[in-house]
Amino acid sequence: MLKSIPAVAVFCLVSAPCPAAAAAAAAPVKAVGVETQYADVIAQIGGRYVTVSAIISDPNTDPHEFELNPKIAARLAGAQLVVENGLGYDDWAGRMLDAAPDAQRRVINVQRLLGLPDNTPNPHLWYDPLTMPRVADALAAILATMQPQHADDFRANAARFDASLGPWRAALAAIKSADPGVPVAVTEPVGDALLTAAGAEILTPFTLQAAIMNGTDPAPQDVAAQDLLLSGHKVRALVYNEQVTDPLTASFLALARANHIPVVGVYETMPAPGYDYQSWMLAETMALRAAVEHGQSTPPLGKAPG
Amino acid sequence: MVGAGALLTPGFFENGPVRAALGVSFCAAMLSAMVGVFTIIRGQSFAGHALADVSSAGGAGAFLFGVNPLFGFLGLAVLGAGVLEMVGVQRARERDLATGVFLGAGLGVTALLLYFDVTMRSTSGAAISVMFGSMFAIPPGMVKLSLGLGAGAMVVMAMIHRPLLLCAAAPELAGVQGVNVRLIGFLHLLMLALAVTLSAMTIGAILSTALLIGPAAAALRLARRPGRAIGLAVVIGVAACWGGVWLAYDSYNWSGGHGWPVSFFIVTIIFTIYLASGLRRDRTMRV
Repeated sequence: MLKSIPAVAVFCLVSAPCPAAAAAAAAPVKAVGVETQYADVIAQIGGRYVTVSAIISDPNTDPHEFELNPKIAARLAGAQLVVENGLGYDDWAGRMLDAAPDAQRRVINVQRLLGLPDNTPNPHLWYDPLTMPRVADALAAILATMQPQHADDFRANAARFDASLGPWRAALAAIKSADPGVPVAVTEPVGDALLTAAGAEILTPFTLQAAIMNGTDPAPQDVAAQDLLLSGHKVRALVYNEQVTDPLTASFLALARANHIPVVGVYETMPAPGYDYQSWMLAETMALRAAVEHGQSTPPLGKAPG
Repeated sequence: MVGAGALLTPGFFENGPVRAALGVSFCAAMLSAMVGVFTIIRGQSFAGHALADVSSAGGAGAFLFGVNPLFGFLGLAVLGAGVLEMVGVQRARERDLATGVFLGAGLGVTALLLYFDVTMRSTSGAAISVMFGSMFAIPPGMVKLSLGLGAGAMVVMAMIHRPLLLCAAAPELAGVQGVNVRLIGFLHLLMLALAVTLSAMTIGAILSTALLIGPAAAALRLARRPGRAIGLAVVIGVAACWGGVWLAYDSYNWSGGHGWPVSFFIVTIIFTIYLASGLRRDRTMRV
């Protein structure tokens, strides 16, 4: 599959009139980002030379539990470029792509791009500030092979994207220097990479985070430990996944509020409208900062305060 | 049994989720065991299972509409009991067929509601907690409610247990003696619905049959009289639940900090006791 693309390019170079390639170059690349955040980065790198759609975009849906329908299968099958997360987060997308083989289609599996083993416990890769710049570079490189005439645009876009993450990195560094090792509790591992990048210490047992993420019965020891973190004021913020709620997470939320521990909402997929990847990550980091420095809870993103 | 206190993992009784689990499972086990004995004598085990499955639609609906799951389970279980009583087919074969079809319809609705839960309400744990229970994540306020409902149901059971037993053992005789057989039958189904609801809250809708039928079946093999059978069933049911809670709590220490599901332990204990009770199955009951 990888070999066939340079072969076509070489063929076009030697035989001057190449109508098929010319037509393909004129039409925008049909791209799919399985999650909205990846679709957003594709759009930022590809600009007007791609048409992008996302599959998981409803912020009320837990992406882990997403179910496929034939319409989505057709959209994936028709895509020329796909970005998927991997690590079991969106396995169905890979299965769907396997069912509709296309030698020309290029797929970026972010897990494999980062060289992560299958047993990596936390699939929320985009919360790591190192992830998306690498996705952007990979996108620029692949788009350059698909539309060589715009290769410079793609590379410039990737560089601009990387630079635009500056405020986010600065915000993370500010928390790290102002509050090194600030203790926090979480309901789910969704924002753990961001918290680690901000130098925060996550005191919630990972087994509890995994149980809530996977919808299994939590160990009572872990629930008690989390309750103690909140009631004993051992943490300075509760980082709460707004997209996965159940009676247990609701009880942690109530306990945090009762003990005046600020709550920071985090999301599995980019809350729309009004956010791009950079501003979304920055908003969550600023919310974390407001929580640990000023004890402020944040209203859900995209909703009016109060 | 020797040194059971010493065996208990430290912090067991101080643990909030464990206390809630012990309280709710106590109510569930006690009521299920009592109702279970009558359910077996009346030959309505399958109806009990059907009610549990149908009630899962209520549990799934409760997640969807954000109401207390107990009311969801209970609402559908009572509705199911009403339907089963209305159908009121007397011949066992037809009754099983109707019950089976009803059960399937209920689970179908559950499938739809769970789909909505996951896609619209982001309650990702709904499927497992409705079907297999989530005893260490019982919402606060549930314990008192369960204790209240359980106590109320036990009072009703104490009031109707004589006519209930008569109806179960000899319906014709009960009719002759002026017992309202239909009313007693409906009250029994109502208590069944409540028992199923409480066990659905603890070990899940799918597994609640185990708590209803298992301890009662073992007790009926061991005890000669219905009164003793009820007492024994209660002891077995509560022991299985509390033993299961303890084993699940303890499993944290040897399962790499994950903790195995409490439902598994409870159902396994019940099954073991049932098998063991078969060693003395030669006894027959005298009513």
